[in-house]
Amino acid sequence: MKPAMLSIDSLKSAVLRLPDDVLSATRAAALANLDEHGLPTVQHEDWKYTDLRPAIDISNRWLADGAARPTGGDLSEAIVSVTGSIDADWLVIANGAIDMSHFNSSPGIEIERFSESAAPFVMDRPLADLNAALLQDGLRVQVHAATEKPLGLLIIDDANSGAAVTQVNVEIMVAPGCDVEIVEYQTSSGRDDHYANSVVTLDIGEAAHTGYVRIQERRIGHVQTGRLSVSVGKDARFAMASYDLGGGLVRNDVDIDLGAKGADLVCNGLYLASDGQHIDNHIRIDHRVGPASSSQEFRGILNGRCRCVWNGKAIVHKGADGTDAKQANHNLLLSDNAEIDAKPELEIYADDVKCSHGTTVGQLDEAALFYLRSRGLGRHEAIQALTRAFAADLVGRAPVSAAKTAIAALVDARLAELTLERTS
Amino acid sequence: MLEINNLTARIGDAEILRGLSLSVKAGEVHAIMGPNGSGKSTLAQVIAGHQDYVVTGGTATFNGKNLLDLEPEERAREGVFLGFQYPVEIPGVNNAYLLKAAVNARRQHQGLGEIDAFEFLKLAREKMAMLGMDTKFLNRGVNEGFSGGEKKRNEILQMAMLEPKLAILDETDSGLDIDALKAVAEGVNSLRKPDRAIVLVTHYQRLLDYISPDFVHVLSEGRIIRSGDRTLALELEEKGYDWLREAANG
Repeated sequence: MKPAMLSIDSLKSAVLRLPDDVLSATRAAALANLDEHGLPTVQHEDWKYTDLRPAIDISNRWLADGAARPTGGDLSEAIVSVTGSIDADWLVIANGAIDMSHFNSSPGIEIERFSESAAPFVMDRPLADLNAALLQDGLRVQVHAATEKPLGLLIIDDANSGAAVTQVNVEIMVAPGCDVEIVEYQTSSGRDDHYANSVVTLDIGEAAHTGYVRIQERRIGHVQTGRLSVSVGKDARFAMASYDLGGGLVRNDVDIDLGAKGADLVCNGLYLASDGQHIDNHIRIDHRVGPASSSQEFRGILNGRCRCVWNGKAIVHKGADGTDAKQANHNLLLSDNAEIDAKPELEIYADDVKCSHGTTVGQLDEAALFYLRSRGLGRHEAIQALTRAFAADLVGRAPVSAAKTAIAALVDARLAELTLERTS
Repeated sequence: MLEINNLTARIGDAEILRGLSLSVKAGEVHAIMGPNGSGKSTLAQVIAGHQDYVVTGGTATFNGKNLLDLEPEERAREGVFLGFQYPVEIPGVNNAYLLKAAVNARRQHQGLGEIDAFEFLKLAREKMAMLGMDTKFLNRGVNEGFSGGEKKRNEILQMAMLEPKLAILDETDSGLDIDALKAVAEGVNSLRKPDRAIVLVTHYQRLLDYISPDFVHVLSEGRIIRSGDRTLALELEEKGYDWLREAANG
């Protein structure tokens, strides 16, 4: 089968139709990169298990249609339902457009728009190029002092609005010594065709502490590619956890650069998938100097016909002595048609390091299931209890405490639904 | 209450029960004894509805209902309780959650509303005190990291909370020191009631020093080969099982 190709000509004309502004040069450069390299195909090692065809098809149809901007749809109710569930100061990007009306300005936080200041830094990665080529605005957030509430970033799309493709770009800088908690929440609704491509860049200053929670509950059937690029400063701590509950084709690229001594990283994730879902978490951690520590724990619960990918890569560069890197991935498969491609990866070029990895794939414990049923719990209730137990630890360790209750409720609701369709 | 007639069952290719009949009435305590491999635990698991055991013949009714037609949870809600020989450890599932869910499943089946949180806690504390259990066990994972004795007490706690009509206690005495054995036996004795039947499955007669059965049955090769009163247990203690098996075969 011929790989799907992004129609560069239609992309070019869409980009040319955008008004000339402070982002024009960035768009042109990104377009040139895309023209040269295109989007990755399954021939690329990093994309072996994830075919971007659905994203490309939606993009091509949208481009052929004239790259429509949103015209209809009302997201106000959906926005309030999210912002009401987690107590945070919310920056909202609805159908690709910035909405500051849910943000209570805080003295420690300074926000500017790319369109009114300067273009973002663009990583040389194909999806970041696609993001930059179509970028019309974005947010630059500077955190200068600890804030009372977490910073919320809600990326919400309604496919019925007419915009089938949205690009979101946010840069966050955390000043040295500053503690901040951030919630990124991605959700969507509406008809089938939707592709959201986001880039979040996070720069954590020396001795700063950042807790980052990523909740993804897009409509099953929608496509999301999301990049999170983080650089962690000297003696800084970054703890993140992602919760992928929805989405059709989902690809998360998390790149974390540990470029200074004493950095401490925790990168966890939970993915719950059932029929029609493909959730790919690609993590790359660069240990450039030591001592520094990183720990990854990803867990998945899969049912029905679905596929999940976890690739946890840690590169310990030459001279990064004193590195401590752990990777763990545990999966519970409830159906014969569920597939997990788990790939722990360690590339070690330093001498004095402590690295470990472990991966497990298992089924429900039938003895535990019978025990619970023998006490009167229905089969579904018992399965829910066992799957909830499997996920509970990662929910409990969510690095943003204000989000824990909401995460627990979302995970419970998703598990209740996911375990219903148990096929074998 | 429980009527078992000519029951045969296998696990995999192995025929374990080979025509077992047993009648248990409300208020009675029966002890089922027998050597290892005689089918005691299989009988307990078959009554509770374990999916690995296939019933190939015979009948089992509980208060007139065909037990074999019911799912394990339906049997529990009807009032059948199995105290496991090896209680399963379920990390992450809270002991209090299980007790409450179990009590509520039973209550819902009886057409009663859910137990309120205060009432539940009061009841659980009361039963735990009776069994000499620390209430901290409520907030632990089900049997997670429990010692052998703690696990068995936890089984009796579940029984006490669920108030079953029929309790089958599978080797409840195994692995217990004398203090734990006494506590468990006292718990069971306190649960003896005219409308409740208890079936003790045990290898040794030790437990019967503390819980006095009305009937003793000896199981061998999947059949009851001798029934009697409590004196039969004492006779077994003295002579072992072989004389009975010889008598049965000869």
